[in-house]
Amino acid sequence: MLPPPNDNTFIILPAYNEKKEVLEQTLSSLINQLYHIVVVDDGSSGKIILPGNSRVYLLRHRVNLGQGAALQTGIRYALQKGASYIITFDSDGQHNPGDLPALLAPLQKEEVDITLGSRFIKKGSHNASAGRRILLKAGRVVNYIFTGLYLSDAHNGLRAMTRSAAEKIMITENRMAHATEILLLIKRSKLKFKEVPVTVLYTDYSKKKGQSVFNSIRIFFDLILHKLFQ
Amino acid sequence: MNGIKILLITGVAFIAVYFFIRLRNSLFDILLLLTLIGAAIIFILFPETTNNLAHKLGVGRGADLVFYTSILIFWFVILKLYARIRKLEQTITLLVRKNAIEEAENSAHE
Repeated sequence: MLPPPNDNTFIILPAYNEKKEVLEQTLSSLINQLYHIVVVDDGSSGKIILPGNSRVYLLRHRVNLGQGAALQTGIRYALQKGASYIITFDSDGQHNPGDLPALLAPLQKEEVDITLGSRFIKKGSHNASAGRRILLKAGRVVNYIFTGLYLSDAHNGLRAMTRSAAEKIMITENRMAHATEILLLIKRSKLKFKEVPVTVLYTDYSKKKGQSVFNSIRIFFDLILHKLFQ
Repeated sequence: MNGIKILLITGVAFIAVYFFIRLRNSLFDILLLLTLIGAAIIFILFPETTNNLAHKLGVGRGADLVFYTSILIFWFVILKLYARIRKLEQTITLLVRKNAIEEAENSAHE
């Protein structure tokens, strides 16, 4: 019997103090598609209990380190488990599982090594507020300054990569600066990438968990330090 | 010798003793420390020397020169500290990651 089509694909879900219902909803929409799911609990204060399923793995950071660190832990683990494709996905319900086949297709056809979700290119959609759009535009410019890559979407947590690309992506930025660091690593390792239209749905919940203006300043500062001490 | 000189020299002496106890194993550190302490005591005892130096460098007062150089030194120290904090953070991250992967659970077995 052939293995199910998504058996070699691992989805990394970093979670920090997520609401139980939101996390479960995100999970159940993915389990149905027969993906493997690695939930990385980044030192949440309460214990995360997941629905029993042989395709769901739970990893726990003893202390809170940040989303970048959680992603890297998940990627390491997925590689160890023999993943051929690895997807990073936000656990706050912003992303749409229906976008995954489109993200994976260019990898499966061996066109590129990594696909990056974008809500701003044609066919992508979002319901971001005007303020957030300005923030994301500023993010694009900052990314361009630091990496030389000018993308349509600066901080989108939805990405897919092949095994060989994942082996080259070593995130050292523990907090949110990892989004830019990944671009730096793409450039340095000369990985082929492509932006794929995705939907980002902001809910009240995800807005509360998401990035504020203050956080962007912190990201900027982290990036300068990254450049200084790399 | 007036009050402030005694106060400052005592302070420098205490710091010097503290550092000597901590860093006695590295020759470079001891030499650096001795030079710094020497300079500090000379400047405290003969404040005019800083004035002369300041005038040569185009700064109005000796105290100002000391102030400017201190800012530079502190800046350098802060950067060094940041570098060390980041290194520490990376070490902790690696440890926490190792632990998380070792103790990974499959939710079907719970």
